[in-house]
Amino acid sequence: MQGKAAVVGIGETTYYKRGESPKTEFQLASEAIGKAVEDAGLELKDIDGVTSYMESRNDPGRLSAALGMKNVAFAAQPWGGGGNGVAASVALADAAISAGYAKNVVVFRALAQGQFGRFGQSKPRTHAYGNSAYSAVYGFLSPAHVCAMQTTRFMHEYGVTQDSLAEIALAASAHAQLNPRALRYGKPLSRQQYHDSRWIAKPFHLYDCCPENDGATAIVVTTRERARDLKQKPVPILAAAQGLGKRDGALIFNEPAFPTSFNREVGQQIWERAGIQPKDVQVAQFYENFTGPVLMAITEMGFCKPEEINEFVANGNIQGPGGKLPINTSGGNLAECYIHGFELINEAVRQVRGQSTCQVPDVEHSLVVSGPGFSPGSAVLFSSD
Amino acid sequence: MSRYMPDGWALPAIDNKNRDFFTSGKIVVQACKDCDTVQHPPEDICHVCQGSALESRFCSGEGTVYSHIVVEHPIPGSLKDRVPYAVILVSLTDHPQIRILGNPVNIEARDVAVGQKVRAVFESLEDKEAGLELKIPQWEVIQT
Repeated sequence: MQGKAAVVGIGETTYYKRGESPKTEFQLASEAIGKAVEDAGLELKDIDGVTSYMESRNDPGRLSAALGMKNVAFAAQPWGGGGNGVAASVALADAAISAGYAKNVVVFRALAQGQFGRFGQSKPRTHAYGNSAYSAVYGFLSPAHVCAMQTTRFMHEYGVTQDSLAEIALAASAHAQLNPRALRYGKPLSRQQYHDSRWIAKPFHLYDCCPENDGATAIVVTTRERARDLKQKPVPILAAAQGLGKRDGALIFNEPAFPTSFNREVGQQIWERAGIQPKDVQVAQFYENFTGPVLMAITEMGFCKPEEINEFVANGNIQGPGGKLPINTSGGNLAECYIHGFELINEAVRQVRGQSTCQVPDVEHSLVVSGPGFSPGSAVLFSSD
Repeated sequence: MSRYMPDGWALPAIDNKNRDFFTSGKIVVQACKDCDTVQHPPEDICHVCQGSALESRFCSGEGTVYSHIVVEHPIPGSLKDRVPYAVILVSLTDHPQIRILGNPVNIEARDVAVGQKVRAVFESLEDKEAGLELKIPQWEVIQT
C-alpha cells in the first residue's frame, strides 16, 4: 500500500499451446515459483506467504511440502471466479507484506489445460440448475457469450467499430513479434486476417478470443526495506484496488451499469490511492479475455470517454514502444500466452525494470487491469520508485 | 410451438424460485410485497428493503432487444447443426430495468438488432423426468 511492498522477483516457464506441456501443472507451478525466487536472490525456504486466484489444484499445502518452505504464515485467494482476480491476488500479497503478516510472498498462477479440463467449455446436461437455468436453456453458455453480450450493447451505445476491437488483437500481435517467449512470435496478424477470421460469437471473430495455453508464472513480493538487499531493482506496488459497484453483482445482466467491465470503482480508487491520473501512466496491461471488454475497461479506468474509444485505440496509439499508451506489450493473453492473465503482471514489472522486449521509455507508472466483464474487477499499479 | 434449441437440449431444473417463470406461460418478475421493488432473477431477499416476502408478478410480455449475440461456433459440438443461433437480452416494457435472456424465434439469427420490439411466446415442453409441463419464455420480433 502506497509503496510499502515491492516486487523483487519474477519467473515463468516456457509457454505451450494447450495440451503441449511435457510437464504437469504442479511441475510448471514449482518451476515458475523457483525461478521467481532465484531471480530475487532468495531461497525457497525464505518464502512464508502464498497467494493466487482460482487456483484449486496447486494449493499452499502441497506447494510448501514439495518446495521446502519452512512456515507459510499467510495463504489466501480473492473471491470472484477467474481472471478478474489477477491484480487482486497481488493486492493480497501487498496487504500481507504491508501488515507484516509475512516477509516474502509468492504470487503465482499455473495452467495445464491439457492435463486438466478446459475453460469456457460447457458440457450438455439434461437440466440447468439455479441461475444457469435462465441462460443455459437458451444456449447461452460460455464466457465468450457473456462478453459478446456486453460488447454488442457497448458498441451500440457509443458507436464502437469492429475495427476498434481489431486494434486490441493487432496490438497484441505486433508486440508478440518482438517477444521470443510469445506463442504468436513469428506469426503476425494482419487487419485483413482479423476480419476474414471466422465468427465465434458475433461480435467476436476468432482473433477477438484469447487462446488456451499451458505454463506458469510467478512473482515474489517483499518489503521495500528488505528489497534493498536483494538482487533486482525493486518494483514498488504503488496502489491496488478491487471494485464492486452498486448492484454490479446482480445476475444475468441486471446490473444497472450494464454494459460494464466492472472497473468504474477500480479506476476511481486506484488513482485516488496512488495520487496520480491516467495520463501519468506510461504503459498498461489489460487482461484480454475478449477484445470488446478491454475497450470498456480502458474507458472505465479513465483513459478516455467511451465516445472517444475509437480514436483512442486507432493509428497505433496503443502499440509500443512509441504509442500514446502501449498496452499488452508482451503480446498479452492473445499473443504471448494465456496463463490466466498472470503473465501480464510479469510484463508490467519488466516495464519498470527496463527489461521488456517492447520497452517503453521512461516508465514511471505501469498498470495491470484484471479480467474485465466479471465482478469484482481489480487492478494494480507499479511505480519506478 | 417447437423448441428453438434442439430436442434434448437442457431443460430448466424447476425449483421454488423459478417455477412460475418456467411454467406459468407468462413473463414473470419477482416483486417485494413490502416495498414493491421488482427484480430478476429471483433472489432470497429484496435488494431495496431486504425483506423476504417476495411474490411473482406477471408482466405484459412486451419488450425491446437491449443486446444480442449470434453464436456461430458450437459449444458443445452437439450444437453444430444448430448454429448460427441468436441469444437476445430483452428489456421489459413494464419494467425497463429488468433484463431477461431468450431466443428470437421468428427471425434469422443474423437479422436481430438492438431496439427491435419483441413479444413473449412460450415453448410447451414436457419434462418427463420431473413430471412437469414447462412453458419456456421465448420472443417473437414484432417490429424490426
